[in-house]
Order: sequence, then C-alpha cells, then structure tokens
Amino acid sequence: MVGPVDPLQRNNVARQGNPSHPLMVFAHGFGCDQGMWRLVAPSFAETHHLVLFDHVGAGGADPSAYDVVRHSALDGYADDVIELLEALEAGPAIFVGHSVSAMIAVLAARRRPELFARLVMVGPSARYLDDEGYVGGFSAEAIEELLATMGDNYLGWAAHLAPIIMGAPERPELAAELERSFCQTDPELAKRFARTTFLSDNRADLPHVPTPSLVLQAREDVIASMQVGRYVHDHLPVSEFAVLETTGHCPHLSAPSELIGAMRRYLLSA
Amino acid sequence: MDTQDWTSAPVGLLTLTADGVVLEVNEALLHWTGHCRASVVGTRLPELFSIGGRMYWETHLAPLLHAEGRVDEVAVELVVAAGRLPVLLTAVLSPHGGTEARMHVALSGARERSRYERELLAARSQADHTARQITALHQATAAVSAATLVSEVAEALLSTAAYALGARAATVWLTGDDGELHPHHSDQPPLPAPPGSDAEAVLISLLGRDRVQGVLRFVPASRTELLDHDVLTSIGRQAGVALDRAHLYERSTSVAHELAHSLLAGSAPKDDRFVVAAAYRPAVADLAVGGDWHDTFLLGADAVALVVGDVVGRGLSAAIAMGQLRSATRAVAAPGRGPAVVLAELDRFVEQVEAAAVATVAYGELDLEAGQLTYACAGHLPPLLLPVSAPPRFLWEGRSTPLGSTASHGRVEASVDLAPGDRVLLYTDGLVERRCSDIDDRMGRLLTVARRERDQPLADAVRTITDEMLHGVTAPDDACALLLAWQGPHPASRAGAG
Repeated sequence: MVGPVDPLQRNNVARQGNPSHPLMVFAHGFGCDQGMWRLVAPSFAETHHLVLFDHVGAGGADPSAYDVVRHSALDGYADDVIELLEALEAGPAIFVGHSVSAMIAVLAARRRPELFARLVMVGPSARYLDDEGYVGGFSAEAIEELLATMGDNYLGWAAHLAPIIMGAPERPELAAELERSFCQTDPELAKRFARTTFLSDNRADLPHVPTPSLVLQAREDVIASMQVGRYVHDHLPVSEFAVLETTGHCPHLSAPSELIGAMRRYLLSA
Repeated sequence: MDTQDWTSAPVGLLTLTADGVVLEVNEALLHWTGHCRASVVGTRLPELFSIGGRMYWETHLAPLLHAEGRVDEVAVELVVAAGRLPVLLTAVLSPHGGTEARMHVALSGARERSRYERELLAARSQADHTARQITALHQATAAVSAATLVSEVAEALLSTAAYALGARAATVWLTGDDGELHPHHSDQPPLPAPPGSDAEAVLISLLGRDRVQGVLRFVPASRTELLDHDVLTSIGRQAGVALDRAHLYERSTSVAHELAHSLLAGSAPKDDRFVVAAAYRPAVADLAVGGDWHDTFLLGADAVALVVGDVVGRGLSAAIAMGQLRSATRAVAAPGRGPAVVLAELDRFVEQVEAAAVATVAYGELDLEAGQLTYACAGHLPPLLLPVSAPPRFLWEGRSTPLGSTASHGRVEASVDLAPGDRVLLYTDGLVERRCSDIDDRMGRLLTVARRERDQPLADAVRTITDEMLHGVTAPDDACALLLAWQGPHPASRAGAG
C-alpha cells in the first residue's frame, strides 16, 4: 500500500446523531456488517454521536486494506479500531461490540484505555475452544470441522450467498441495492476471519481492561453460552452483567428493544 | 393445505418460532433424520445441522431472516442417522412481529446439487492451480531472463523463490570452475530459515546445456501449494540456460579486460628529457570494458608522441578496435608529419575498421629539445597544461571532429611552448563525465585537483587525480589519464645552445 491510510474510508464509516454528543461506536461481529445494528443504533441518535463501521474484509470496508498478516490475529483488528478512534478525534468512545468485536475492544482498550469511556459487549466469548477447567462451548473437533466446512467453501457458506441475495420476492419495497449489500462477505476472507475468531483466546487480557463494561448475554446462545458470558463478566475488573430474554447469537436483531433498554439503564447508572 | 398434505409432503417442512425453536415438523423430515417427533419439537432448528450449518444459521441466516424476512435455497447439512444429508433450506418469517411471529421452513434434498457443486469446486480449484503454475513459471522466467551476470541470475532466483514458488527459505548453489557446488552468498537479507525444515526442502537442478549450473534449494511455505514437478523442472532449465548465458558473458568480458590490460601494459620509452605516467580504470558497472587507451612513443631522436583515445563501444569488439587504432597511430606517426596529418591518416584507417568507426583522439608531439608541444584533438576533450609558473589551463585549440565522422573538414593542429618542468595531462571523458553533473563543473574540478597535485611526483599525481575524480562515482565508465612532464633539453645541447 502507498501513502497514509484513511481509517474512516478503510472501515466504511457511517455517522449518525449529533457530533457534539458523546461518541458511541458500533462494531459488528463475525458474519455480517454494520447493518446488524439498524434496529438498535437509531435509538441513540438523539443522545449520542453515532459511528458505525465495517471490519476490513466485511461489508463495504476497503477490500484492498485486508492484510493477511495484520488480520490473522485479533490484534490487527484492534489496531484498526485504535486508528479509527484516533482519526475520529471525538473523545473517548462508548464502544458497543458484538461477539468477536467485544474481544477486539478488549485488546484495544487494554492498550489504549484513554480512547474508551465504556464497553458494551453483546454475546462476548474470551475463548470458544474448551480448555482444561474452562468451557468454551466448542470441542477442538467441532472447530476443526467448522473451519474445514468453510475451507471446502462448500455447504452452508459462501457458495450460497448468491441465492440469498437474489432477494425477497415478497418484499419488493426493499431496494435491490440494500439486499445485495447486507451480509455479503468474500468467502475467502470470511474463512480467515472465522479462523482468527474461533481460535482466539483472550482470557488473559480481561483483567487488564480498566474500562467499565457491560456484558449482555442472551438467555440461550450456542455460540457464546451463559457460562462463557459470565466468565467474561467475572474476569473484567469493572463490569456489569445483564441477561436478555432471547435465543440466538444476535439479540440486537431478535430482541432489540430489550437490548436498547439494558444499554440505556447501564449508561444512565454511570 | 390440510395437515395430512403437510406431513406427507416430499420435502422436510417445519414451523418455528422467530427464535428458531421447532413448533411443528412433518413426516418427511423425521424420516430423513431418524428422530422422533418429541425429540425435534422444542429444540432449535440449527441443532439439527452440522456445525458449519449451525454457525452459518447463527451468524448469517438468522440476521438475514430478521432483515429481509426470508432466505432462499441455502445449502446446509442435516445430521442424520447415516451421517450427513445435504439439503437446501428456504425459510420465510411471517410478517406478524413480536412473539407471535412464525418462521416457515422447507428443506429439500440436495444430493445431486451438492455433487454438482463439488465438481464445480474441483474444476475451479484445478483451474486456479493451473493459473498459479503458469504465473509462477512466467515470473521466474522473466526474472532470470532479465539478469546479466551469474550473481544476478542467482539473486533473481532467490527473489522469485519467495513470491512465485511460495518458499519460506531458499538458497542457491552454483557450480564453480572446479566443478563443485558452492553456496551463493546473497547481498539481500536471507529469507528466515524455518526450524527443522530439512526434510521438506525441495531441490531443483539448474540444468544448462552441457552441465548442471547449480541447484536451487527451497522450503515451500506449504506442501499443498507446491508447484507441479514439471513446472519446477522447467524453471530449473530456464535458470540453467540463463546461467550458461551469464557465464559466457562474464568470460567474454574478462577476455576483453585482459586484452585491454595487455595492450596498455607496454612500458613507456625512457629518455632523460621527459617523464610520463598513466592511469587506466576499466568500467566496473557491468564488467564491460570500453575502448579507452593511452600511449607514448618516441618519434625519431628528439620528439615524443603522446596519445589518449576512446573508441565508442563496449566489450570485446571495442577492445580489439582500440588495439588496432593504437597500433595504427604508431604506424602513421613519423618525425616531421605533425598531428593534423596523423589524424587525417587515422580517418582513412577507421574507414576500413568498422568497430573503430567512431573514436576520439587527443594527439600531441613534444619537441624534446625546444619544448614545443604541437597537438590536435579529434572530438576529444582538451589537454590540460600545468605550467610551473602560471595557472593551469585547458588547450582549446587544434580542435576538429571525431575520427570517422563524415562531417570532417580537414584536421587542424596548434602548438604551445613549454618551459622545463611544465606538465601536460591528456585524459578521456570517463574522468570528467558523470551522470547528473555539469561537464563544466567537472572540468573545473579537474583543474583544481590537478593544480593541487602540481608538484607531486608524476606517478603519484596522476593516480591521485584519477582517484579523486572517480571518487563517489557509482558505476564509472572507463577512464584513462596520461601525464607527461618536460624536463628540459639535454645538458649537452643546452651547453651548445649557450
């Protein structure tokens, strides 16, 4: 790459709300892109300066910014986040991270605590793989099979994004453009991101995060179980824990109003 | 559709809550999976999938269903009694929101489609593989073809190894004159050697026309990405032929060097009335000698001829032409002829010798008794006069066009009287020409250096001048300088004259 990188362009930054209000940044997890926050973010537009972005390799982020070395570890994504927050020059952020983005925020906040006012972690997991004395929810075999499935570029993954984006015949009011952009991932990069995500282990980083945090846990989540969420809460120096009465890994889609309520309560209690 | 139709439909059908929990399931699905109704109802649909499908549901499909209300024909695998069953999933979220929302799911068998997709994938991966092989071969060939010297071919192989061959570490061994293999020591930082990699190393012999010119040894970054055997062999052959060519080139340039040195090695004539010293620096940029020469010889009893010339061209042919022109100059020079006539004779000579067709010459004759220097320059830089008791100056007269140039309008000469101890410097353009520098600045520099060295012993002076003028010049051209000092007439003739 030549010349300085503009993190705002690289990460396809979109802004909402009032720039004079406190900064709130939304980071999507493995899978889709910033569109995941569309049921949650607008509720904070009155009170906050909202910034949404796509991780490199996802959504509308600059594909040429993907660096096989830098983005082979969550630290590289944390670098991206730090550069992004620096470029925003909008004061410390309330950083809302879903799934793996919660751990990316942990790494970034450990290194640059002054950039973060609060962390909101939705469905975080410090380690997906089971370990001695630790239940991550996935056996080594299961993760291997998952990665192999993606490695085959076969069933269930990228080869089948095409039929998905053919769209919803019953909802013609959705612009074709929007349908095409949501959840569209480069299969190769999705595979690499999955490897980076599911093989990561950030348990040792948790005790070093000084930022006050809120851990939001879905009642039932096969990717990040209650036990896993509790572990994160227990090992963060300053954190609160709230359970959302919903099932699945995406409470911001399945139970947006509950999630918004929990965030509001937490931010007001500060 | 009544319930009877629903349960016996030839596709798997389910009704789920918005969260994905199964409320109803039909016979076909139970039949496929081997589960009983009670064990399926109440669980979440993704739990029936293999882990890939499960994760895909959680990270992609559920968000999509919430965003767009449906997904169409997504391939997932059901875990069934007999292993895995590929199916296509279509799901629609009923438009009523809230907890009453329902998801309707149809799963249809996809064995044929999945087989077809596997074949497509295999074909694509084969095509990718072939493209990668061709690209690697092309990159390696282009790199070694562009290299001139043996060491450059080795460097090209090493740098190509990293990106075209996907090597983690690489070394090149070259066959030496002794027929043994010797490691090539790269000036580039080596690729870091991975630990314990010897067993994985790949050796490619660099096969020239008549012998193995060397060996490329590398450790592939991954076994699966390793290039095909015939592609590696072909890269080895390309490099071998490139090494053949590089060896030939280096031999021919070294012959040219030896020739140039031997031609210039002759000893200068001895006479009490003058001292002469010369310096010759061959070009080092690409080992190609140019056609610079210098010469000093006696003309009868009381004159000495001094010559510096430059045949345009490089390599063996330029060296040979230089030798011929040097001999020709000696042959046509004779007492009483004078520089203009000598140059005119040389014009005739170069008409016959194609390789010497374009040459420049500075030619002078010094009357050893009277101290008169008669000189002529055919397209050559002016001699530099270094008088004992006056500032140095360039001799800008007696100029005409280069030898062999068609625009020649006759040769002219000029003369200047020397005092005992005066010196004169003849030199070729390699001494003063320098890329990115103004020639006037460089000649000014020569004037300064020569003046400073004015009183040094002759051999020291000419060496110092040459060294200083070439100092810091990257890839200098041939350069040659001839410095002569007139010591004055014979004591006997001095006495006679007095």
